[in-house]
Amino acid sequence: MTVPFRTIGQPVGKIDGVELVTGRARYTADLQFPGTLQAVARRAGVAAGLLRHLNVEEARRSPGVALVLIPADLPGPNLIGILPPFDQPLLAGPEIRHEGDSLALVVAETQEQAEAAASLIVAEIEPFPPILDPEEALHAEARKIHPNGNLTFAKQLLKGDVEAGFAQSEVIVEDAYRTSVQDHAYLEPEAVLAVPESDGRLTVYASCQSPFHLRGHIAVNTGLPASRVKVVQPFVGGSFGGKDDAVTEMGSLAGAAALKLGRPVRIVHSRKDSFLGSHARHAAIIHLKTGAMRDGTIIARQAEILLDGGAYASESPFVVMKALIHVAGPYKIPHLRVDCRAVYTNKRQAGAMRGFGVPQVTFASESQIDALARELGLDRWELRRRNALTVGEANATSQVFHESVGLVETLERVKEEGDWPACLERAHAADNPRFKRGVGLAAMMQGISNGAEGVDVVGASVQVSQDGSVLVGLGLTELGQGSRTAMAQIAAEILGVSLEKISVRQVDTDTVHDSGPTVASRTTTVGGKAVWMAAQAVRTSLLEMAGLMLKAPAEAIELGLDRAYLRENQEAQIPLAQVATAAYWTGFPLMNLAFSRAPDAQYDHETHQGQIYIAYNYGTHLMEVEVDTWTGKVRVLRHLASHDVGKAINPLGVEGQVEGASLMGLGFAHLEEVLEENGKIRNANFADYQIPSFAERLPTRFLPVEEATSNGPFGAKGIGEPPLAGAAAAFANAVSDALGISFRRLPITPQRILEALEG
Amino acid sequence: MDLKAVPIAFCLNGRPVSTSIDGDLRAIDLLREGFGLTGVKEGCGRGECGACTILLDGRPVNACLLLAAKLDGCEVLTIEGLASPEGTLHPLQSAFLEAGAVQCGFCTPGMILAAKSLLDTCPDPSEEEIARALSGNFCRCTGYSKIIKAVRLAAQEIMR
Repeated sequence: MTVPFRTIGQPVGKIDGVELVTGRARYTADLQFPGTLQAVARRAGVAAGLLRHLNVEEARRSPGVALVLIPADLPGPNLIGILPPFDQPLLAGPEIRHEGDSLALVVAETQEQAEAAASLIVAEIEPFPPILDPEEALHAEARKIHPNGNLTFAKQLLKGDVEAGFAQSEVIVEDAYRTSVQDHAYLEPEAVLAVPESDGRLTVYASCQSPFHLRGHIAVNTGLPASRVKVVQPFVGGSFGGKDDAVTEMGSLAGAAALKLGRPVRIVHSRKDSFLGSHARHAAIIHLKTGAMRDGTIIARQAEILLDGGAYASESPFVVMKALIHVAGPYKIPHLRVDCRAVYTNKRQAGAMRGFGVPQVTFASESQIDALARELGLDRWELRRRNALTVGEANATSQVFHESVGLVETLERVKEEGDWPACLERAHAADNPRFKRGVGLAAMMQGISNGAEGVDVVGASVQVSQDGSVLVGLGLTELGQGSRTAMAQIAAEILGVSLEKISVRQVDTDTVHDSGPTVASRTTTVGGKAVWMAAQAVRTSLLEMAGLMLKAPAEAIELGLDRAYLRENQEAQIPLAQVATAAYWTGFPLMNLAFSRAPDAQYDHETHQGQIYIAYNYGTHLMEVEVDTWTGKVRVLRHLASHDVGKAINPLGVEGQVEGASLMGLGFAHLEEVLEENGKIRNANFADYQIPSFAERLPTRFLPVEEATSNGPFGAKGIGEPPLAGAAAAFANAVSDALGISFRRLPITPQRILEALEG
Repeated sequence: MDLKAVPIAFCLNGRPVSTSIDGDLRAIDLLREGFGLTGVKEGCGRGECGACTILLDGRPVNACLLLAAKLDGCEVLTIEGLASPEGTLHPLQSAFLEAGAVQCGFCTPGMILAAKSLLDTCPDPSEEEIARALSGNFCRCTGYSKIIKAVRLAAQEIMR
């Protein structure tokens, strides 16, 4: 019996939208508690060295100062990180590993007083020559940034026999590709507010994306049991992977200060602090070699990937795995060898950022596919199609999917809508001496959920009140991406309740199961599954109650439009509020706490062969550009983005993710680069670090493909990250096509275009 | 000891207000901390992102670069004053929701106010006019297209 979906698949506005457009939405920096103190960190300001002496006496005497927190004041281990052994101190010393290392936290009545006092702290640092080049960091004689050396993490992927594959290949292409450091540049800088409670507990409000991770680190570093720490996530002004470790550091420091003083302590990063003291995207150096037959069949690929992890490990181990697994692209390549390493350098630490290693390797891979097409004299689309993964074929980890592999459909849709290959001729026919046009293609895939990054569990609660309204709780966070709305739609669909009657509360670690981080495009897929399960359990109660009331078996009942009715005779109906009230008085449970657990990854840890992700999102992008050869400026004339999303729960939200991620991809490929000189960032502001503005907006047209996965609610797969890599790679290929020059380094800025044109 | 040296009086979201302030106080701090109008967002503190946009006598300005003293005698509108007193959303607010022009929402108050200023002087703007008028406001989430769509939608609604 199928009832057509009422809310699933409908474009709906954000359920928390009114708060957002009226200014009522409170972000962490907006919260007020009596007696709140402000805190700022005194940063090292030196990329590498030994802290000989830290004099905080004058700062302590400065007006308004309540506390200058130094390492000796911290009751815990003064360490944070993602994977043990943790390597990032909250307050650094004696070893200084990057300019943004915090040395002390100054807590004062006002922000100005805290800043003034911080400037009075005297840090005597014996500087070391900073290690800034990731290749130099790996030299045997290089100074060790951490006791165990400068190699943070290394992994290998082996499939087939790569030597034999290259021996068999008729054509081999080989190149090195580089990508740069990208900043998250969310509009809301990181913020935390720690409030000591009268019952001995500590509440930390945080602009974060991993509240449970934060809770654990705050507990350890303040010496409190985790159960005495509550992390509450107010509205968050964007995160994109960034509000994980940085906020962990801030939350732990604010928590320690608040407990020491018995007063609320707030830390709000300035934009400069956000650049210096948070985590950015790993810069990458990728050596890539691909072998194929003359007919375009790819036989072998070898890759060496070096990721610049900066001063601390953070998410480097997991980014290593993701880059390792994705450098083969969405292609069936029988022979692979990939070596991926992350290294320490004396730079700002790299961590999670939207795409998580995939944008870097997708740029390299898709650039090389174009190079291979040129070498073979084959059409670029045909080459991709010929090697495209389909259902039943082994991907890079030899994982075989029997459903939900929509890559070919995305290729076909882009070909059709883009009028490939006729569009190529048209583009080049429009060339003139100054303006050159080009078209770029990119195909990609991205694993959904944690996969090899660890256990993948999410808790959710669904509670129906006697008035028929519904409260949903989820352990994953709304960061602006629209997860609350998608969760509300899932609950609404299953319970037959209108969307207006559903509330999805903000995360509060007291009220929901530890669900891990809001990462890996897993919220809709794994989180949505948990909501689906909890809602199904409550639905069972409602159906049974309605069955008793309508004197029919539960199987004969359907829920919809805020009522329960007989499938065969819709006139026989009862308002859901009455059913819920009766269920309460009859003693049927109206709340359920569900726990979704994605199938565990099972793979060989030496070769990375096996079942790694529960599903992949597949995509194809086409971009047509016009390059001004006088100024190096690029105008994107056309952008098609097709992704296999399994099932779009909220098409409006999906489109928003595709458009937003694509523009962030354009930033990565064209505009954005954190620049440093001797280990000091020299563009830590929005005037010198250029994020895309209205002028650079993309004419994105989203072409949805829906190949459902049984691992997601209603078949849905995540879409938050994948378009970034697709758009970036398509941009690079389009500019290369326009100018007949291969660009092997991102970003392809106007300056680099002019340099390339000059030869 | 705070020296509240400068007396100022202005019209804030339709209501006359007066207070005394430090001469070097920023408008953003007065509005957020003095009046609790936290819809005025601080994204950069340097006038580069537009999140703190307010309307001063109908014109968009960055409240982070403005001294509070400059509010004296002016009509000031923040996002909190845009909906009707009864809570009916302004057409721009409704359109932003309908078009999906809001994701994290941090840029939204400034963006909507900048758009209001545009529509007040140019009731039927083209896509390019919208992009130019809002060019001082960054959004990191949406990719901007839906914001332009929302402003067009609101313009049509207001003209109806």
